[in-house]
Amino acid sequence: MRNIEQFRYITAAGLDKLVSRLIEDYTVFGTIKKDGFPAFSKITDVKELELAQTPTHLSAKEFLFPQRETLLKFDIRNNIHEAVIEAKEQVIIGLHSCDIHAIALMDRVFAEGRPDANYLARRNKTIIIGSDCMPDNFCFCKSMGTMNAEEGFDLFLHKVKNGYLVRVGSKKGGRLLSRYTATLRPTAGKFRELDESMKIREASFAAKLDAGVEELPAIYEGAYESPVWDKIGAICTGCGSCNNVCPTCYCFDIKDEVRPNLREGARVRVWDGCTLEDFAKVAGGHNFRKTRAERLRHRFNRKFRYLSDRFGELFCVGCGRCSRTCLVKINIVEVTNEIIRESKRAGRK
Amino acid sequence: MNGEKPKVAFFSFTCCEGCQLAVLSCEKELPDILSLVNIVNFREAMTGKSDDYDIAFVEGSISRKEEIKKLKKIRKKAKVVVALGACSSTGGLNCLKNRFPMEEVKKIVYGKGASRYPILDTIPVMPIDSIVKVDYYIHGCPIPKKEFLSVLTSLLLGKSPEIPNHPVCVDCKLAGNICVFEKGMRCLGPITRAGCDAVCVTYGTYCWGCRGPVDNPNTQAHAETLKRYGLTVDGVMKMLDLYGRCRKARTQKGNR
Repeated sequence: MRNIEQFRYITAAGLDKLVSRLIEDYTVFGTIKKDGFPAFSKITDVKELELAQTPTHLSAKEFLFPQRETLLKFDIRNNIHEAVIEAKEQVIIGLHSCDIHAIALMDRVFAEGRPDANYLARRNKTIIIGSDCMPDNFCFCKSMGTMNAEEGFDLFLHKVKNGYLVRVGSKKGGRLLSRYTATLRPTAGKFRELDESMKIREASFAAKLDAGVEELPAIYEGAYESPVWDKIGAICTGCGSCNNVCPTCYCFDIKDEVRPNLREGARVRVWDGCTLEDFAKVAGGHNFRKTRAERLRHRFNRKFRYLSDRFGELFCVGCGRCSRTCLVKINIVEVTNEIIRESKRAGRK
Repeated sequence: MNGEKPKVAFFSFTCCEGCQLAVLSCEKELPDILSLVNIVNFREAMTGKSDDYDIAFVEGSISRKEEIKKLKKIRKKAKVVVALGACSSTGGLNCLKNRFPMEEVKKIVYGKGASRYPILDTIPVMPIDSIVKVDYYIHGCPIPKKEFLSVLTSLLLGKSPEIPNHPVCVDCKLAGNICVFEKGMRCLGPITRAGCDAVCVTYGTYCWGCRGPVDNPNTQAHAETLKRYGLTVDGVMKMLDLYGRCRKARTQKGNR
């Protein structure tokens, strides 16, 4: 049941006002058109913002978990070593439901065990504004159960005629909305419009998994020796793009970078990816996952099995970014459906 | 390397010396570098010369017999040899010459009388590791400054320099670029060694492969991609050959 108390209505001009005011007070990231494609970027003018219907090329994870960040600075001559935490008050506008689910997963990764001070500092200063979307041929959030976000956002924008139905997801979101723009109580007509567009959206998914999410960990466990890994391993170039565009791939490398004076330097964290050849290479040169097939199998299992063992949730949100970016057309839905079919065949025997 | 400052030398073979200019453009870091090392040979920057050095940075590919002799002498004297830039590390653009008979290229470049001058006796181009053992590689056409600085710093600290072995696609995603294939271009990024921050793509073009391939490129799969995106077999070969001609010759010899 929908809690209509959560919703307000703002006009299109009202959204412009909200975003303009946010830009005055926060660092704001939002979806823009980059080379004609939707992409997240810093915005300094509300005119740059273009709420996208389909997923961006790269996810928004970089704003919480940057591609490269300094963790520590040192100067050995002066015996200085200081931890660095870079976190600004920021707003991310235009996250789709899948992206919001992904952030919730990242929150668990970086908060459990030894909490990651850098990520959490940034996360605590981040305001999440979601917006609705339409699936393209790669989107399969409906199969993953991540098609709608019930929480994990401060505000969520649903496009309706002449304006937006804004769902308030947090107290902070509610305060922002009333402080920065004029809101109205939505009429029943607006909700009917929302229901209508959600119905159309739900009927628009082309990609679909042939098994329920709860079955996937066991299916993946049974597929460890499947021929599918060699098949996709043969065509994979190991470019790592699937890792880098994924909103829930969080692996990183840590490097000490020394300046040419050999006294000062920094410890930096950079994204790493399990499909890259050197990812599982250890001291002495041994590589635990020598082949592209093994590396791909590892990545798929991380999404559908290994991390669900640890966190109780699958680490794929169905955004389809990995399939969209893959130049050799390795498609996460097709691969998963192939091993679902194998598993069903094996079950019948 | 304790005690006195390590002696560093720069050498050029067949190249444009642009990678040495990239070294010289490290203006902010040069005072620090000079406080840690003695540069004893650097044609682009000084007149002095010395045959006594520890680290040799070698730019350029080998394209004449005399160069082979000179390179072997450098290897004998230096404790560490670093290939500086594409011409030296993979043969670079110069390898395009190897498509043609040597007599023909000599004539095209130097005219009909070329064969009368022994100094113009050209041989098929080779990267320097076809002749001598190379300890470390700094790739690129030209080299990225930061890679030169990190390799030099690592050598001075006594640790192995870290040369990326992942494709340019990684740098490209980290730079936030839209994939050039999406934009209707074709690119060698998926098989080319990263470390350049994908500057070519960031500034609007595509990856030409100047840093050479990663250790184990899936060239066949990428050739299929290039064909799927509209290149003919000939077009694919031309693209792969621009910086990759010598590498192929070497692989055939089983040298790698």
